[in-house]
Amino acid sequence: MDVAIINSFIASVTDVMPQLGFGSINIKNQLEKSKKIVASGIVLTLGIVGDKKGNVAYAIDTEGAKQIASIMMMGMPVDELDDMAKSAISELSNMLTANASINLSNESINVDISPPTMLTGDSIELSMSKDQIMCVEFDIDGIMLEINVALD
Amino acid sequence: MENIRVMIVDDSTFSIAVLKRMLQKDGLEIVGTALNMNDAIQIAQEIKPDLITMDMTLPDGDGIECSKEILKHLKETKIIAISAMMDEEIIQRAKKVGIKAYLQKPVDQTDLDAAIERLFEGEELYGVLKSNFEEAFRESIFSFLKREIGGDVVVQKVADHAMTTNSSGISVAIGIIGRHDGRLIMDMSEATALGMTRKILQDEGQQIDDAINFLSEFTNIIGGNACSLLNGLNRSFGLRVSPPTVFRGKDITISIGDIMSESFIIKTDLGDVFMNVGFQKGEVAWM
Repeated sequence: MDVAIINSFIASVTDVMPQLGFGSINIKNQLEKSKKIVASGIVLTLGIVGDKKGNVAYAIDTEGAKQIASIMMMGMPVDELDDMAKSAISELSNMLTANASINLSNESINVDISPPTMLTGDSIELSMSKDQIMCVEFDIDGIMLEINVALD
Repeated sequence: MENIRVMIVDDSTFSIAVLKRMLQKDGLEIVGTALNMNDAIQIAQEIKPDLITMDMTLPDGDGIECSKEILKHLKETKIIAISAMMDEEIIQRAKKVGIKAYLQKPVDQTDLDAAIERLFEGEELYGVLKSNFEEAFRESIFSFLKREIGGDVVVQKVADHAMTTNSSGISVAIGIIGRHDGRLIMDMSEATALGMTRKILQDEGQQIDDAINFLSEFTNIIGGNACSLLNGLNRSFGLRVSPPTVFRGKDITISIGDIMSESFIIKTDLGDVFMNVGFQKGEVAWM
């Protein structure tokens, strides 16, 4: 897969997360996965169309999602993933993808994105539109965020 | 373009007169004019216009600053910059503060009409979409299942759906992208998906991976057909569907309450299908 694509998503995380109040952002792992991905906690997927077509799926475990929601809501304690917390996470996926699409447009790849779809559960098996999926695992202040990009 | 209330901000009385004539020709109502930034900010707050034409050079400031100040209080007001000066830098600055379009003086009536039309048709289009999307998706899923599965197919609308719904086994999500964006979610049990796959392909040997492929294509067809129907109503919708993502697992909860959406249960001889489709109002693209 084009390096420009995955780099646009990586740059989006490293740009957006500090703006929201996160400190250290490290890439733990970067790998190519086959079509099926298994994730637990929260999965958000957004559709992408334009010069490239496909989708992106974000996976965060429930505890991590609560911490992210809390920081996004100015430190408000988040004990359970209620509608407000879910809405914050949903907005995060939107911000990250929109930012990645701006980065892509700087590489002359113009794409539009759809609203996110959010699912929660254990061992969710995901099949994305491509056989080879670019996956990046981030450690954001101890919270694991996984980004799966299937775009071609 | 009726019932649009406009305010003109320009440091030249001549320009105001010209713009007034052009806007009135379009049937717009001129509710205020201002020759400088201070008056503009004050009058705008008082009369809350739908549209403002904004000159970029004002005696006590510039159009960017003035727009920024006005938009702080009037989120719904749309601003079109109209200025003799136009370069990439000022366009970028205009975009950044939330100005929706930039036209260069002398303004051409056709360009002005087109800009106003595009700015306000979004609202109208959203209304058209709201009143038609339900029927388009109902029609699309009904005819597919009737043709491919046969038997009794009944599409029932879920009156008041909750914020979330539990998956029956396999869920598919498709993004819809256009003038207004949306999302289609299809959900059914593994047994139903397998049953439908075996029936359509007339092959009892079909396995769960085949069923996943079927459901993914099924959702793509329903979404694609419905969006084509809607695009047929008005080309400006420009709806396109993204490739599907399939989710499979036990105890999966899907959030459906975040955007305006409708849910349906489709009863078939091979089991129930759950469909949720919704749209959100898109931002006006830069002109």
